[in-house]
Amino acid sequence: MSGYEDEKSMLPYIIGAVILFFVGTAGTTYLPFYDDQMQAPNQNAELRHLSVESSEYRGREVYIREGCHTCHTMFVRPVLADSSLGPISQPADYYYDAPAMLGTKRTGADLMWVGNRWNEDWHREHLLNPQKVLPGSIMPRYDYLSDEDLEDLIAYLMSLKPSPQTEGRPVE
Amino acid sequence: MPSPSAKKDPYLPSKIYLYSSLFWLAIGMIYGLILSLKFLWPNFLAFGPFQVIFQYGRIRPIHTNLVLFGWLTMANIGALFYVIPKLCRNQLSFEKIAAGTGIVWNIIVLAGTVALTMGFTTTTEYAEWPLWIDVLVILGMAAVALVCFATIASRKEKQLYVSLWYFMGSLIWLIGLYIIGNLPYKLLSGVPQFLIFWFYGHNVIGLWFTTVGVGLIYYLLPYLTRNPLYSHKLSLIGFWTIATFYVWNGPHHLQNGPIPLWLMKAGVIPSVLLIIPVWSVLANVFGTLKGKWHALSRNTPLKFLIVGAVFYLVTCLQGPFHSLQGPSSVIKFTDWVPGHAHLPLFGAFSFVAFSFMYVFLPKMLKTKLYSSKLMEWHFYLAVTGMFLFAFSTWSAGVLEGFAWIEGAQYGMQFVEMLISMRPFFAIRAVAGAAMLISSFVFIYNLAMTIIKANRNSQNEEISAG
Repeated sequence: MSGYEDEKSMLPYIIGAVILFFVGTAGTTYLPFYDDQMQAPNQNAELRHLSVESSEYRGREVYIREGCHTCHTMFVRPVLADSSLGPISQPADYYYDAPAMLGTKRTGADLMWVGNRWNEDWHREHLLNPQKVLPGSIMPRYDYLSDEDLEDLIAYLMSLKPSPQTEGRPVE
Repeated sequence: MPSPSAKKDPYLPSKIYLYSSLFWLAIGMIYGLILSLKFLWPNFLAFGPFQVIFQYGRIRPIHTNLVLFGWLTMANIGALFYVIPKLCRNQLSFEKIAAGTGIVWNIIVLAGTVALTMGFTTTTEYAEWPLWIDVLVILGMAAVALVCFATIASRKEKQLYVSLWYFMGSLIWLIGLYIIGNLPYKLLSGVPQFLIFWFYGHNVIGLWFTTVGVGLIYYLLPYLTRNPLYSHKLSLIGFWTIATFYVWNGPHHLQNGPIPLWLMKAGVIPSVLLIIPVWSVLANVFGTLKGKWHALSRNTPLKFLIVGAVFYLVTCLQGPFHSLQGPSSVIKFTDWVPGHAHLPLFGAFSFVAFSFMYVFLPKMLKTKLYSSKLMEWHFYLAVTGMFLFAFSTWSAGVLEGFAWIEGAQYGMQFVEMLISMRPFFAIRAVAGAAMLISSFVFIYNLAMTIIKANRNSQNEEISAG
C-alpha cells in the first residue's frame, strides 16, 4: 500500500468532497428557484395564500401540529393512480406554501383539492369519529381538538379548492 | 483515595455514544411498534393524555428521528471515535470535547422528542425538530468533525485508508446538508422548498448513514476475515462515484410531479448511475471474502456484516428502479416506500453497527461478550423481522398502487382498499415485534457485558489494593 503518494494527504478528499457536494446542491436545490415555472403564482396559489388572521391559516397550523401531512399528500400527478383526484398539480399552485406539504406517503387519501369533495358537516363528523363515517378507516379520532381548532381545521380543508379557471385544466 | 483507576479511559467518548445509542434504540423501536399497531387498531392507546402523546401524526417523526439520530447516528459517531484513532495509530484529539458532545447529543435527542410530542414540527421529513434544536445539532456536529479531522491530521500512519476517505466525506456532507435542509421553513416556499426537503431527506441517508456504514464495512471486513482488501481500485471508484452522483438524488422524490423535465432527468440519471458505487463496494466485499466463506457459519458479527452488505445491495438496486417514471407511478406514496426505507437503515447499516458493537465494545472493556448464543438469536430474529417487514410492505404497496389505478382514490373505495390490506399490516406488526425483541436481546447482551466488565475491574482494584 506504499505506492499511493496522493493518498497521504487529506486535502484531495476534503476539496473533492466539498466541490462535488456543492455542484449537486446547486443543481438540485438552487437552480430550481430560477426555473420559469417556479417564478410566478397562479390563481390557485392566490387562493391558498392565507392571511395570518384567517381561520383557514390557523387551521393550517393545526394540520401541521397534528402531523396530518405524515399520512396525506397534496400532490396530484398526471398518472392513472391520481386520475379522479382533480386537476394535476402545477409548480405555481404551491407558490406561497410555506412549508410546502406535498407529502410522501398516502396512508389516507390525497387532500390537494379536498374542499371540492365534501362539506363542513361531513368533515366535522369524520374528524370526530372517522370510523362512523367511513367504517374500516384507520384514521385516528380527533375528538380531543378544541372546538376552535376543529372549526379552523375544517375551514382550512374546505379552502383547498381549485380556482374556477383551473377547473378547465386537463386531468389526463 | 487516589486509585490507579483514575487514569484516563481512552475509549470514554466512544463509550458515551455507544451506551446512549443502545438506550435510544430501545425507545425508538417501541415507538415503531406502536405505529405498526395503529395500522391495525387506529384507536390503540387512544385514551386520556395518551391519545395526544401517542397520536399517529406526532409519533411517526419521533420514531424516525429517534432511530436515525438517537440510535444510528450515535452508534456511528461512537464507531468513528474508536476506528479513526486505530487507523491513524494515535489517540483521539480533544477527548474532553468529544465526550462533551456525547452528552449534548443526548440532550438534543431528548429535547427533539419532547418538542415533537408537543406538536412543534417543521414538516421536513427526518428534520422535523424545531430550528433552535437544529442550531445545536450543527454546533455539535461541527465539534465532532473538529475532533475527527484533528485526529486524522495528527496521524502517525501516513497512508489514508479507504474508511477514512468515507468518514471525512460524511462529516463534511452531514453538516452541509443539515444546514441546507433546516433553513427556517417560513423563509422559503413552494416546490423549490419541497425539493430542498428531499435533497436533505435523501442525502442524510446517502451521504451520512450510507457513507459511514460503508467506511465501517471496509474496516470490519478485513478485520473479521483476516484477508486484505480485495481491490484498491474498486474502493477508489466506489468513493468518487458516490461523492459525484449521490447528492443529485433529491428530485426523484418528485417523480411525475410538479417539476420541470430537466430537473427530473437531473435527478433520475444519477439515481440510476448509483449502481456503480454500490456494485464496486459489493464486488470488493465478495472479493475480500474469497476463501473465507466458511467463516460465516461460526462468526456471527461477520454474518451481520455480510447480510447487511447484501441488504445494501438490494436497497440500491430498488432505488434506481423506482426512481423511473413507470414504476414510480405505481408504488410512489404506497407502503412499498417504508419497506424500502427500512432496508438500508435497519437492514443494512444497523446491521453494520450491530457487527461493530459486538466486536469492539467487549474489546474496549477488555472482556468477552456475555453470550454468543444470544447474539445468534439476535441475528436470526432481526433477519426474520426485516424479511417479514420488507415483503409485507412491498406486497401491500404494489396492491395499493394498482387499487388506486382502478379508482380507489378517496372516500369509501379508498377505505375498502385499506381493509383488504389488513393481513399485510398484521404481518408488518409481527415483523416490528420481531425486530423490537431482537434489539432488546442485543441491548441485554451488551448491558450484561458492560456490567460484568465493570464488576471485574472493581475486583481487580480490590485485589491490587
